[in-house]
Amino acid sequence: MTRKIALIFYILFAAVPVVCGLFYAIFYSLGLTGILSDGLTLSHWEQTLSSSTFYKSIGYSLFIALVVMTISIVLALWITISWLQDLKKGILSYMIYLPLAFPAIVMAFFSFQLLSKSGFLSRVAHSMGVINQLQQFPDWINDAYGVGIIFSLCLLITPFFIILFSNLYHNERIPALAHLAATLGASQNQIVWRVVIPVLLKKSAFTIFLFVLFVMGTYEIPLLLGRQDPSMLSVLIIQKLQKFNLADIPQAYTMAVIYVIIIGTVVAILFYGKPQFFKNSAQ
Amino acid sequence: MIKRICQLFFAISIFFAIGFLVVISLGGNWTYPALLPATVSLDNWRVMLISDSSLWKAFLQSMLISLTVAAVTTTAAFVTSKHIAHSKYRSQLLLLSYIPYVLSPVIIAATLHFFFIYSQLSGTIVGVMLAQFFIAYPFGVIILNNFWNPRMRSIEELALTLGSSSWSTWYKVLLPISKNALLLCFFQTFLVSWFEFGLTNLIGVGSVQTLTVRVFSFINEANIFYAAIASCLLILPPMLLIWLNKRYIFNTQTLI
Repeated sequence: MTRKIALIFYILFAAVPVVCGLFYAIFYSLGLTGILSDGLTLSHWEQTLSSSTFYKSIGYSLFIALVVMTISIVLALWITISWLQDLKKGILSYMIYLPLAFPAIVMAFFSFQLLSKSGFLSRVAHSMGVINQLQQFPDWINDAYGVGIIFSLCLLITPFFIILFSNLYHNERIPALAHLAATLGASQNQIVWRVVIPVLLKKSAFTIFLFVLFVMGTYEIPLLLGRQDPSMLSVLIIQKLQKFNLADIPQAYTMAVIYVIIIGTVVAILFYGKPQFFKNSAQ
Repeated sequence: MIKRICQLFFAISIFFAIGFLVVISLGGNWTYPALLPATVSLDNWRVMLISDSSLWKAFLQSMLISLTVAAVTTTAAFVTSKHIAHSKYRSQLLLLSYIPYVLSPVIIAATLHFFFIYSQLSGTIVGVMLAQFFIAYPFGVIILNNFWNPRMRSIEELALTLGSSSWSTWYKVLLPISKNALLLCFFQTFLVSWFEFGLTNLIGVGSVQTLTVRVFSFINEANIFYAAIASCLLILPPMLLIWLNKRYIFNTQTLI
């Protein structure tokens, strides 16, 4: 009885709100509800699917997510493998946790003050004579390639992966595996490239996958450091929802529904096609 | 040698970020191309924390919301995670916990906003707490899920075999040995709530002024000095929690 109540409570608060929100978004996108609704229509879906804004936004979000994850994972692997002993004890073992105290919005503010045309780096470049005018400093904020967004997200995510990899290094008994490989004649490079890195990446594959999706849906950082076109998907959806043009609201819900369908399909394919992939998370 | 230089650079970078925010918060009249603000004093802090009570109010409101969300989430997640861990549908149920994160909290808030308006919870502290609970609760379940391992089950069964009632087993056996796991869950869900901006801003519709919302407002007003003060207040509790977490929980934590 207690188990049933607990599971009903869990489903009620973890799944029902998402399902209700999704159905409301579907109804709104089909013109079945909302201020301007006038019956069932597919026009909002047609408008969304035929406009390039949505595809650009999805592509841009995926681009940012993949670049951020690649940079963060490479940095985290390098730091974990080369600083392993220092990360276990001493001041570095404490300091590595400090970046986790930065909320995304504070990291975005810090990056803005550091990288913008009137930011700290621009001032340093000016005082060193590298640039003479503010305009000569490169566009790193609100730029087309999302340099500021990538920089901020890497600052937020890399420490997390350093901690994850250094914990995995010990939990997965990698030192013993490395020792075994060395005994069998593997060189130091072979141990790193063929033992350590593959084990760490395989064991963290699920977390990496989750982070790709998490970065794709991130909001605060692209809101402050990104540009209007292209913009990351969550920013685009919220901007369309909060604009004064009421006709944009159904399109915002259509985009949200399509995004949920895409992510849901990817997760479902992985869950049923490769259940082993999720096993680490469930045990 | 190169390793030491890299480590030094890494350490300086972390302290630079914190020091940079503190210097801006103390500054005034920072015109381009000056490297540092022309004036550095406690005036900004004095104005924000003594003369103008709105930042204190935002800080206390954020603290109230985050502590409440963390306490309720930890309690609910502790009870439900046990039943999920012992369920034959564990993997499927746990998958639900990841939904708020893979779909982005702010997108979920956007789709749920109508229900909050309809139930008159939009723009209220209770509404923001409930919305944050939708995000923090699944996270709490993920954190506590691994705690309910076969060893814990054996301890529970042993207590029941020795005649302990179901309530006594929870209260006198499971709760004391779960202290560290519960603290960890509390800290983590507190941080989820404390860091939340998009969802809070959307459901709170500007009426619920948390510190993250205040930082955003100050940035929008181009008031970088006050934004830096609010940022400093925002990173202070997490730093304290991370230190406590590392000092007293990670070092003794063996169950998670």
